[in-house]
Amino acid sequence: MKLRLLTARGYVTAILLWLAAWIIVSGLAMLLGAENVWAWTSWAKVRDVLGLRFYSVLTASAVGAALALAGLALQALLRNPLADPFVLGVSGGASLGVILSSLWLTAIAAPAFGFLGALVTIGVVYVVAQRRGRLEPYTLLLSGIIVNAFYAAVIMLTTALVEPERRGDIAYWMMGSITTFDPQWAVVAIVGGLAAAAAVFFALAAKGFNLVAVGEDTAGALGVRVERLRLATFVAASLVTGASVALAGPIGFVGLICPHLLRMVLGPDHRRLVPAAFFFGAILLVVADLATRLMEGIGGQTPPVGVLTAMAGGPFFIYLLRTRWRRAAETR
Amino acid sequence: MGRGAFFAMLGIFLAAGLAAGCGDGAPPAGPAPEAGKPLRILSLTPNITEILFAMGLGDKVVGRSTYCNYPPEAAALPAVGDTLKMNLEKIIALHPTLAFVVTKRPDTARTLEGLGIRTVTLRSDKMEELLASIETIGRETGTPEAARALVDRLRSGLDAIRRRVAGRPRPTVLFAFPMTVGLPQMMVAGRGTFVDELLSVAGGVNAFLDAADWPTVTPQRVIALAPEIVIVNATGEDAAPDRIEAIRRAWANWASVPAVSSGRVTILTDPYLTIPGPRVGLAAARLAEIIHPEVFRPAGSEQRGDEKKAGWYAHAAVGVGIFPGHPGTCPAKGALGLPPATSVVAPGGGRGARKGPQP
Repeated sequence: MKLRLLTARGYVTAILLWLAAWIIVSGLAMLLGAENVWAWTSWAKVRDVLGLRFYSVLTASAVGAALALAGLALQALLRNPLADPFVLGVSGGASLGVILSSLWLTAIAAPAFGFLGALVTIGVVYVVAQRRGRLEPYTLLLSGIIVNAFYAAVIMLTTALVEPERRGDIAYWMMGSITTFDPQWAVVAIVGGLAAAAAVFFALAAKGFNLVAVGEDTAGALGVRVERLRLATFVAASLVTGASVALAGPIGFVGLICPHLLRMVLGPDHRRLVPAAFFFGAILLVVADLATRLMEGIGGQTPPVGVLTAMAGGPFFIYLLRTRWRRAAETR
Repeated sequence: MGRGAFFAMLGIFLAAGLAAGCGDGAPPAGPAPEAGKPLRILSLTPNITEILFAMGLGDKVVGRSTYCNYPPEAAALPAVGDTLKMNLEKIIALHPTLAFVVTKRPDTARTLEGLGIRTVTLRSDKMEELLASIETIGRETGTPEAARALVDRLRSGLDAIRRRVAGRPRPTVLFAFPMTVGLPQMMVAGRGTFVDELLSVAGGVNAFLDAADWPTVTPQRVIALAPEIVIVNATGEDAAPDRIEAIRRAWANWASVPAVSSGRVTILTDPYLTIPGPRVGLAAARLAEIIHPEVFRPAGSEQRGDEKKAGWYAHAAVGVGIFPGHPGTCPAKGALGLPPATSVVAPGGGRGARKGPQP
């Protein structure tokens, strides 16, 4: 694929277009929901509902943007198209951290523990998958699976040991959901702030990502400090993943679907992909959350949004495995 | 990317975290009740719904939890989820002015008060808490007389049962829920629970006093406890005939338990036994009848002989008239009249009936 010319003006225009798309989708998500508020006569009631939907939209945007960016960065740095915080067990590590902190600490401590769990997991998976300084693509995915299984076991053990009333909470939270129950604006602000900061950082590092994608040796020869870029990326991806898990639980496959759909349209240039992933991740999760809220209006039950993304992401993963992965293996 | 840029970004990350971390303020208190404004009540717990209807406030209730299915009028109201998972848009649509919840979690009340609904958190783990909650409901709804009348009625109903079993030997009673499928453990009524108090009113002694609340125990523990009477309350899905049969078979294995060997294991299907509401008198009477059948059934009755042979009792529900206009659901015959006996496999539990204490 060819690298299209990227001018500063084009860059700003692209960001403004993405911003406009996000505002339109978010506006739609505010207009629709479980109740048809536009038939109501009381403005006070409508305002309350809009407040709830605003919170949902912000939460979904922050989490979606964070996960899409984390997925994009991990795919670039690990040079593996199937890397995703969920697949690699990073979300699982963050979940364990959040669950353990929720047993004894307040909600505000959860993002920190999520970050810790995520960072430890990335480190473990990376070290396990490395052989003689090279990353084995299959070993990387396998170690992700094993780490996921291990965390699942520890989380199940924790669930079995806590008071029965909390079991349902943990089980439901593990499905990944955006809830307006007990709004935590502070955590939303943390996730949104971290996602924005990560977007800026990844945008600055986009050239490095492009070169690493060509080859680590080439990138090194061209002046990219690969080890330091990798460390910084892992820390940033862990921060956004951990914080988003603390807010909405482990929502899977957003980090897989978003970057790939964007690559199909925009090509492999990370200078375009980083801002696009930030906005498109937000849009995708706002739409998914809107779908769950509309289902609540129809059936009375809200399915967790993580279940929706996983149901869409599973088949997508298989598709990638059958097409992109094979192509990548053939060209290697 | 230079070293400076790297540390600058790290700084932004940390600053974002710190700045956002400072905004977690205390929840605002709900608006005080206003005179003249029509009362619209949201009840998020089954026992509170029953209390409101028993106090004659049924027509003021606009919404209920998914589990509130009694009295039948309550089941006809719109359901908005439960204290852990509420459909907030629906709640706003119902426009309640006052919400009652029974929960130890502060976030439920915080969420509702965030919507401008005055929210009262009640406790009903113990009998005195239940009676105090009724008085609180009376105060909040401007009907203290109705509350007092209900409290008096409940007190006198319980006293009547206490008097009837007074002076009798007090056997040890284990009150348990059926074992969960795939988990060889069962939840039992521990020390200080509302069922613990009911057992004592009904003339028994709770066999499990080692732990408070609703502990989960293994069958080995039950064998070690050796209770003289076992009452298993199978509600909801457990009330299905094949589940009852499975529960019966499971208990029949532990012949060393005195309750098993003497045929004093009773399987009930009455959700109200664990609902701390207006039907506590009914629940206490039901338990008393199982613990002291000699008091409530004339000795030598033929039916009783057959049941004893079978080893599994069929027990009659004893009603105390609490819900005006519901003679069918809460029969009141005499002081503690005996309506027709219900079989142990009677489908008494509604689907979704809440097990155990409210969270």
